[in-house]
Amino acid sequence: MELSDANLQTLTEYLKKTLDPDPAIRRPAEKFLESVEGSQNYPLLLLTLLEKSQENVIKVCASVTFKNYIKRNWRIVEDEPNKICESDRIAIKANIVPLMLSSPEQIQKQLSDAISIIGREDFPQKWPDLLTEMVNRFQSGDFHVINGVLRTAHSLFKRYRHEFKSNELWTEIKLVLDAFALPLTNLFKATIELCSTHANDASALKVLFSSLILIAKLFYSLNFQDLPEFFEDNMETWMTNFHSLLTLDNKLLQTDDEEEAGLLELLKSQICDNAALYAQKYDEEFQPYLPRFVTAIWNLLVTTGQEVKYDLLVSNAIQFLASVCERPHYKHLFEDQNTLTSICEKVIVPNMEFRAADEEAFEDNSEEYIRRDLEGSDIDTRRRAACDLVRGLCKFFEGPVTGIFSGYVNSMLQEYAKNPSVNWKHKDAAIYLVTSLASKAQTQKHGITQANELVNLTEFFVNHIQPDLKSATVNEFPVLKADGIKYIMIFRNQVPKEQLLVSVPLLINHLQAESIVVHTYAAHALERLFTMRGTNNTTLITAAEMAPFVEVLLTNLFKALTLPGSSENEYIMKAIMRSFSLLQESIIPYIPSVITQLTQKLLAVSKNPSKPHFNHYMFESICLSIRITCKANPEAVGSFEEALFLVFTEILQNDVQEFIPYVFQVMSLLLEMHKNEIPSSYMALFPHLLQPVLWERTGNIPPLVRLLQAYLERGSSTIASAAADKIPGLLGVFQKLIASKANDHQGFYLLNSIIEHMPPESVDQYRKQIFILLFQRLQNSKTTKFIKSFLVFINLYCIRYGALALQEIFDSIQPKMFGMVLEKIIIPEIQKVSGQVEKKICAVGITKILTECPPMMDTEYTKLWIPLLQALIGLFELPEDDTIPDEEHFIDIEDTPGYQTAFSQLAFAGKKEHDPVGQMVNNPRIHLAQSLHKLSTACPGRVLSMLSTSLNAEALQYLQGYLQAASVSLL
Amino acid sequence: ALRMQRVEVSIKLRKTKKDEQLLKRRNISLYAKEENLSPGQDKPDEIIHLSLEEIVEAVNGNNPKLQLLATQATRRILSKQKDPPINQIIELGIIPRMVEFLSYADNAPLQFEAAWALTNIASGTSEHTRAVVEGGAIPAFTSLLSSPHMHISEQAVWALGNVAGDGPIYRDALINSDVIPHLLALVSPVTPVGFLRNITWTLSNLCRNKNPSPPVDAVLKILPVLICLMQHEDKAVITDACWAVSYLTDGSNDRIQIVVDTGVLPRLVELMASVDLMVVTPALRAIGNVVTGTDQQTQAAIDAGVLAVLPCLLRHTKPAIQKEAAWTLSNIAAGPSQQIQQLITCGLLPPLVELLDKGDFKAQKEAVWVVANFTTGGTVDQVVELVHSGVLKPLLNLLLAKDSKTILIILDTISNLFMAAEKVGETEKLCLLVEELNGLEKIEDLQNHQNNMVYRAALNIIEKYFSGEENLDLEPQTGQDGLYDFSVKKQDFNF
Repeated sequence: MELSDANLQTLTEYLKKTLDPDPAIRRPAEKFLESVEGSQNYPLLLLTLLEKSQENVIKVCASVTFKNYIKRNWRIVEDEPNKICESDRIAIKANIVPLMLSSPEQIQKQLSDAISIIGREDFPQKWPDLLTEMVNRFQSGDFHVINGVLRTAHSLFKRYRHEFKSNELWTEIKLVLDAFALPLTNLFKATIELCSTHANDASALKVLFSSLILIAKLFYSLNFQDLPEFFEDNMETWMTNFHSLLTLDNKLLQTDDEEEAGLLELLKSQICDNAALYAQKYDEEFQPYLPRFVTAIWNLLVTTGQEVKYDLLVSNAIQFLASVCERPHYKHLFEDQNTLTSICEKVIVPNMEFRAADEEAFEDNSEEYIRRDLEGSDIDTRRRAACDLVRGLCKFFEGPVTGIFSGYVNSMLQEYAKNPSVNWKHKDAAIYLVTSLASKAQTQKHGITQANELVNLTEFFVNHIQPDLKSATVNEFPVLKADGIKYIMIFRNQVPKEQLLVSVPLLINHLQAESIVVHTYAAHALERLFTMRGTNNTTLITAAEMAPFVEVLLTNLFKALTLPGSSENEYIMKAIMRSFSLLQESIIPYIPSVITQLTQKLLAVSKNPSKPHFNHYMFESICLSIRITCKANPEAVGSFEEALFLVFTEILQNDVQEFIPYVFQVMSLLLEMHKNEIPSSYMALFPHLLQPVLWERTGNIPPLVRLLQAYLERGSSTIASAAADKIPGLLGVFQKLIASKANDHQGFYLLNSIIEHMPPESVDQYRKQIFILLFQRLQNSKTTKFIKSFLVFINLYCIRYGALALQEIFDSIQPKMFGMVLEKIIIPEIQKVSGQVEKKICAVGITKILTECPPMMDTEYTKLWIPLLQALIGLFELPEDDTIPDEEHFIDIEDTPGYQTAFSQLAFAGKKEHDPVGQMVNNPRIHLAQSLHKLSTACPGRVLSMLSTSLNAEALQYLQGYLQAASVSLL
Repeated sequence: ALRMQRVEVSIKLRKTKKDEQLLKRRNISLYAKEENLSPGQDKPDEIIHLSLEEIVEAVNGNNPKLQLLATQATRRILSKQKDPPINQIIELGIIPRMVEFLSYADNAPLQFEAAWALTNIASGTSEHTRAVVEGGAIPAFTSLLSSPHMHISEQAVWALGNVAGDGPIYRDALINSDVIPHLLALVSPVTPVGFLRNITWTLSNLCRNKNPSPPVDAVLKILPVLICLMQHEDKAVITDACWAVSYLTDGSNDRIQIVVDTGVLPRLVELMASVDLMVVTPALRAIGNVVTGTDQQTQAAIDAGVLAVLPCLLRHTKPAIQKEAAWTLSNIAAGPSQQIQQLITCGLLPPLVELLDKGDFKAQKEAVWVVANFTTGGTVDQVVELVHSGVLKPLLNLLLAKDSKTILIILDTISNLFMAAEKVGETEKLCLLVEELNGLEKIEDLQNHQNNMVYRAALNIIEKYFSGEENLDLEPQTGQDGLYDFSVKKQDFNF
């Protein structure tokens, strides 16, 4: 593309079209620009347009397009073609800085971004004169230009704040410091002087303060990695000026806006950051200045208002004090009783007040409010900062601080008592203060875990929290109600049980509150109380204690789901789940109504599942309803199926992906409840479950395998008779799973169920094929996980079909195969098998090979008899071998993307552990002894002579122990 | 865990530390002392001031008296307290002539004044030192070492020290001109302390600098004398001898071995415990270097008792000492589990935790490395013991550090702790502990960190251990009847 007027004209037209709202016009224009961006001169044409176009929109559009072009193409990726020709690169670098500086702000920002992208690649080696070019502009005296330079420098240097130290990085920083530090310092001094000469010129001050903010930010970046020699030598200049800027105020710089921080706030906030950086990293050098900053920042806090625009400044400033007051060598700065009182009174208490903005969030943005207040995502808030300062001060001054605050709490409560409807915020602050003072450590699961012993939490609870919750009007003072409920929630481990029991009905009552925050907190508090542990691993609050409240609890919980704003409230749903699980059979009378409400809810949310937690707890609740009811009355399973299958069918038909894994789990649970033959409704679904499309989704695999296992357990004979033609498809699923390193264990689950439950004749024709597949996998990609599953499977097979059958099928695949598997796999690897049931299966299987397989006694396999016995004794006695070869370490993680997230396991749909040898063998050691005894009776002398010649002494000792325990001896 | 060599400071942003040993020194002795040292000199009140032109003329002339006067005037100019005009003097072109004066054995005062002047020129920048060397000063000073006048040979020692301090090239030039035997010959029981200090300092400069390190045969010659000097009663002599050993140990493992073989480690450890900061610094530096070596070399330092001294140094008032001690400990913690066990047995955990909690940031960073190495190489039991010692709280607090690398190492360490917890089935307890200590919110926050590796490490921990807490909570517990019951069987985690 030539730099011609015609091309400029063309480009202008296409750029204009990219702004068109109609995609039919916009898209082709974007495509066109993409197609020409590889041409030489394209970027220069854009630069020409953004400078010279007649239309402002085109200028801006060209600058944005230019920046995006640079972002996509500037970096030279190894082994890929250079996407911008060298002469264009040179021309861009030669022109962009002056162009940026002479452009209006809107365009300047885009070009400044472009410069920093280029700088990231080319600076300093391939752009050596950039720094001098920038520094020279400092003398221009034109602060529009200077701010452009500073902004660009900031975007170039800010990466020093997060990158790792390296020779390359430090070489660059050193270069920057050599060229930049002195001019920046001079500019800083000059700007401050100009601020005082222009103290009465608002527009000049605005520009100058923008410069100061950028200078302060640059200071932060340049000082981040280490304390540069230059800045150590010039600390006096910088810190003295920073200090005086902190104390500066100028009416002309105050803004009317309540929300948006003004220049003065931004500058002071950055200075707090700079001081905090020095205090943390360069304490030794900064020590002489620190006390001054503590005083200045504290004064700043005392004089700063409650408006939202000061929030960042205030929380930064408080955090600075919080970090300093914890350090032993600055303890003295805070020690004085007057200082402490003044910090408590003027810094902490005011910042704990419930502000108009909080009230607004409480009412109109409850979800966000709850997230901040309950889940602790309040890191930058004032209240949180104040809370941190309380904790910091308590490290050295717990007694005095507690004393000071007790006075405040009392006076605030008195204020409240005088006129609650006007002064309720005083009580809110009092509760918050008590909470922050008392809590030393906290977790979501247990609430407060360490409390300040100087605060009497129970007394406060009885005198000030309970009365509010006992009030007949649940909708009065919602903020105080929420405070009270939260108090119960977080101090549940500190307040005695009898008080908690008194609170339960109060909480149940507040489920009816209109305020979303209040009824959500009530649900959450109940849920947390119900999970508390008592002695002997029981719940602290028992079902019996809750008996009087069952009906009202369930009614209010489900009613709360109908309150505006809470139709998919996860806290309420979780409380429902937890209540079911606590109350157990006492919910049975209410199940018909409960299950109707749950299925209606399920139907409604399946249209557009948006709250994963809500949905998860809903399915858990459904599972609990089924389990609890069917435990008492197995026949009831039919009525659940009746209620649920309609919705389930709809979910499956509409392919609601989020819900399908849940549906399979609930169906497994239902199917397992059946005592008799599998109902035909399930059989109709069976072929669909083998559809490959279902198996392509990782999240479906575990629940589907589980469901197929349930089919095999309950309906193997029906499958063999009525769906024999589906057996190859079933085995196809097994083959698919076994092929994957991530899912092979699921394949074995399925295979084990097939072997255990299917009538032998129905799978006869496939058996050899199954083993061949397994051997292939063993040969081609053996992993520890596979071997473990494989060992369990062959032993299960041996138990089911007999040791001789195992030997015969192996050797029919390839001569001597049986010996090879024994020698290369079973004997060396058996130690790796984990899990009680798995180990037991292997023990029983190997015992069978040892004692019920004639070829082990009189062929060349005989030499493996002792090693196999030794391996079995090892399995009994040695610790599990959990070493995993290095290269395998990452398989499970890397090969199963999103396993955790995609598959949502329902805890209450849990499958009970199945022990296929449970009835046959109780103690596998004794079983071994008995089997050996039997063998030795059949061929007297053989066993004993083998043992005495080659079994090692330790193993022999163990074996004698087993024989003794079984009261048998060998002949 | 990896042992980390002292980081090659090819690029430094910081000021050179005051506690480093000086590479070059100027002789600016006080007036009175100076005159006493110049026997046969005119009385002080007869000092004559000469212009630079007059100096050049006199030095190049043939009048011995004027030569002396001019040389003395030059020396005086170069000895003034602030900003001596070394460049100006060099530009006069009188250096070769001054070097010539060094060989005037019959005019001791002139020899002495010239030696002094040249010493001070050589004390400047590399350019300045080069001017002296290129004037032919190395052989001249080497032969002056054997001067019958002690004050002259002392000045020669000093001058050579400045030359050696310039860098490996001049250092090796001196070694090649066979300066070592002459220097060592000056050390005797009757050598005055002041002189001995100068000799020790010059010897230390002959041991100093890397790329390349000094030749092994030179090291082998100097070492026995250094070890004697470390037994001297004078602190300055001991200090410089320790500096020399610290340079010799700052290198590859075979260099460390040479020092270990001399059996000097117990003495170094003893000196680490000195009350004198001046002595502690280089002794600690030397031992710190030794433990960057092999497991056996590190064991030699442990056997010499280093672990008994470190607790004090970790609590030292000087941040630089804390930092160096923590660095030393980090390399011991990088050893096999037996060495980690010794670290525990010798009570290093409490001071380590204190340092992590309250130390200077530089020292905290090194302390983080100690913990990181410990959790990499320690056994599960040792890691449990570490957690019991209270390391977690300060470690998690340091996630707020303004240093990406430190944050990353802490996150890696947390992963190590979780791996250990998994082995003893205490994952859930560790999760709670991390949350209680406000670590969880910090790790969550780090998921927004600008540095990619930090962000990913944080994300990884959250995903692996802190997502779906409900599943941990609800892990299906089924009783004999196959139905849910509320019991959970778990061991007690006793943090």
